[in-house]
Amino acid sequence: MSTQRLLTLLGLTLGVLLLLVAPFWMSKYQLYVVSLWAVMSIAAIGLNLTLGYAGQVSLAQGVFVGVGAYTGAIMTTNGMPMAAALVVAVVLCFAIGWALGYPALRVQHHYLAFVTLAFSTLGYLVFRNEEWLTKGIYGIVDVPRPMLLGVQAESNLRFYFVCILSLAIVSFGVWWLIRSPWGRAFVALRENPIRALSLGVDTRRYTLMAFAIGSCLGGVAGVIYAPLVEFIDPSPFTLDLSLKLLMMVIVGGSGFFAGPYLGAAIAVLLPEVLRFTEGYYLLIYAAFVMILMIISPTGLLGILDRYLTARSTRKASAARAALSASFGDQT
Amino acid sequence: MSITRKVSRLAVLTLAAGFMAAPVLAQPIHLEDVAELSGGGATVGTNFKNGADLAIAEINAKGGILGHKIEITHADSQSNPGVARALVQKALDNNPYVLLGPGYSGSVKVTESLAAKAGIANIMGGEAAELTQTGNEYVFRTSFGQQSTMPKVARYIAEEIKAKTVAVVWVNNDFGKGGRDVINAEFAKRGIKVVADLSTEAGQVDFAADVLKVKNAAPDAVFVYLNEDESARALKELKRQGVTVPLIGETTLTGQKVIDLAGGAAEGALAHVGLTTDAPIPAVQEFRKNFAAKYNYVPDHNGIKGYLAIYVIKAVTEKMGKVDPANFAKTLHGMTIRAKDEPGILMDVTYDEHGDIDRQGFLVEVKDGKQVVKTILPKMVP
Repeated sequence: MSTQRLLTLLGLTLGVLLLLVAPFWMSKYQLYVVSLWAVMSIAAIGLNLTLGYAGQVSLAQGVFVGVGAYTGAIMTTNGMPMAAALVVAVVLCFAIGWALGYPALRVQHHYLAFVTLAFSTLGYLVFRNEEWLTKGIYGIVDVPRPMLLGVQAESNLRFYFVCILSLAIVSFGVWWLIRSPWGRAFVALRENPIRALSLGVDTRRYTLMAFAIGSCLGGVAGVIYAPLVEFIDPSPFTLDLSLKLLMMVIVGGSGFFAGPYLGAAIAVLLPEVLRFTEGYYLLIYAAFVMILMIISPTGLLGILDRYLTARSTRKASAARAALSASFGDQT
Repeated sequence: MSITRKVSRLAVLTLAAGFMAAPVLAQPIHLEDVAELSGGGATVGTNFKNGADLAIAEINAKGGILGHKIEITHADSQSNPGVARALVQKALDNNPYVLLGPGYSGSVKVTESLAAKAGIANIMGGEAAELTQTGNEYVFRTSFGQQSTMPKVARYIAEEIKAKTVAVVWVNNDFGKGGRDVINAEFAKRGIKVVADLSTEAGQVDFAADVLKVKNAAPDAVFVYLNEDESARALKELKRQGVTVPLIGETTLTGQKVIDLAGGAAEGALAHVGLTTDAPIPAVQEFRKNFAAKYNYVPDHNGIKGYLAIYVIKAVTEKMGKVDPANFAKTLHGMTIRAKDEPGILMDVTYDEHGDIDRQGFLVEVKDGKQVVKTILPKMVP
């Protein structure tokens, strides 16, 4: 356990230092890609809460990123501040997520995936066809970057810090949440809903809550995504994005706190790193993900987890053996 | 691997890197291309890329532009505006002479302002009308924008076909919607009634319901504005349900790929085409032959776009007499490039102050499984 804690602490410190110092040496392109990673991480953290902790399969996370992005774009292009857009997006996604949670009370697993898949398609159609609101297929251009605490976050470097700061706040919030009774209730829901119910956990409320909070984080990611790209149209928010987010959560390690960060890094950064192979980069990327899933269906962190568990088991059995040996000596 | 082998390998690598970085006499001209090499726009981007590569190989074989060889980097936008933005940023970080692409109008909307901010000319493939209407001084087309093609199609439908009513079948993406909005406005101006306005999906397989609506509306003509694969499926269904009124399209409807896929169903279809590899112009035929020899397939208009983009760069640079990225855009505005001076440009072309082009167009009809040019629509300004 102590090794695990040490490793976590070391990784965390290194990661934070890197994210704070490295941008000063990064090109605009690298800044943009890492900002995109931060935004996708937030959306994946949301899905990890719904899927990884509460065990509810959702293929609609991409739509919530879209709802957030459109809320942000529509409000900020009409002169309203990003903070207001954030509040509206969170409330909106919470409400829609809550409503989407109702089918989850009746159906599970594949069936739930189908329900959310339908919702995902519906969301795309609304973005595309409700032109009076979303400008349809033409999209919304010149989404402004925000003014925060009196600083205009127009430059790539400043907006990078907006993304990273948002990720930090979300991370802290979720870290707190999963250690609260709520988080434990979510896990209980995933592991054994009937037992959870018999222990007095209101599974109905927590299922809806898992959807609503996870969706909220999708919305938060969307509100930041719009000014990052400075343009939105319906095309990024199709089922593709939902599947990509699902992949991030699973590849990173579903139900692990650090899973979404790693998963998003693989989905966003790895293809960019592999670009030097030109025509082959998507092939290599796909092969990597497939092999990883074969080796470790529980994702990247699953490998680490297995290693640490095996190690502590070995240690424990060694200790047991030593103990019994010492008992043996006495007799 | 032993330490000595490691060290020796490192030494070789360092030496090689040193040689590569060694200054050459004439610095090559560096171009960056961001294209749709995967995802929904893969045919668009791949054709554009191959066309550009072909032109570069030709020019480099003849000694380059003003003695400078051309080098190009292609990057894949995955047909996603968010990724396109990242790659255009990366391309601009590398200080290219000119930025090429993307081909999707949505992606161009994201990237054109970045190129403008960097002061780099951007020669792109998008056809949506508004791309050149934002006052951006650095963006240039390679083909007609919809605002210049659609009026010609509407005029043909009104004056030649003498249709009073028309059905419009379009694909609901930025390409299809853009064209539909422009042509419907033109129809309204000419008093032609749109009796069926049918939005279809990209990748749609079954057109039975849409064609049935066309049939029930009984129009004098049908304007079909879809991507290649869908055009073929729609043509087949129109034939199957016995729609016999004239079918008119723009660029895509009569492409060779559509004719091949649709079999006999494309027979008699008409279209306005800005760039076609079937144009009865020797230079275009020569291009088509060379392209097919190099890549083993017949390019569509996107292949010509990529090819022309490179020859535009050549013509502008030779006019300036030096490699001058700062004055590139200024020089290209209002410039006319003639095929007799620069054969690679294939057809005379004039750029206006918005970066829109004026070039001759074609009215084609499908006969015996081939595009046949019916009328050549001359340049507005000779």
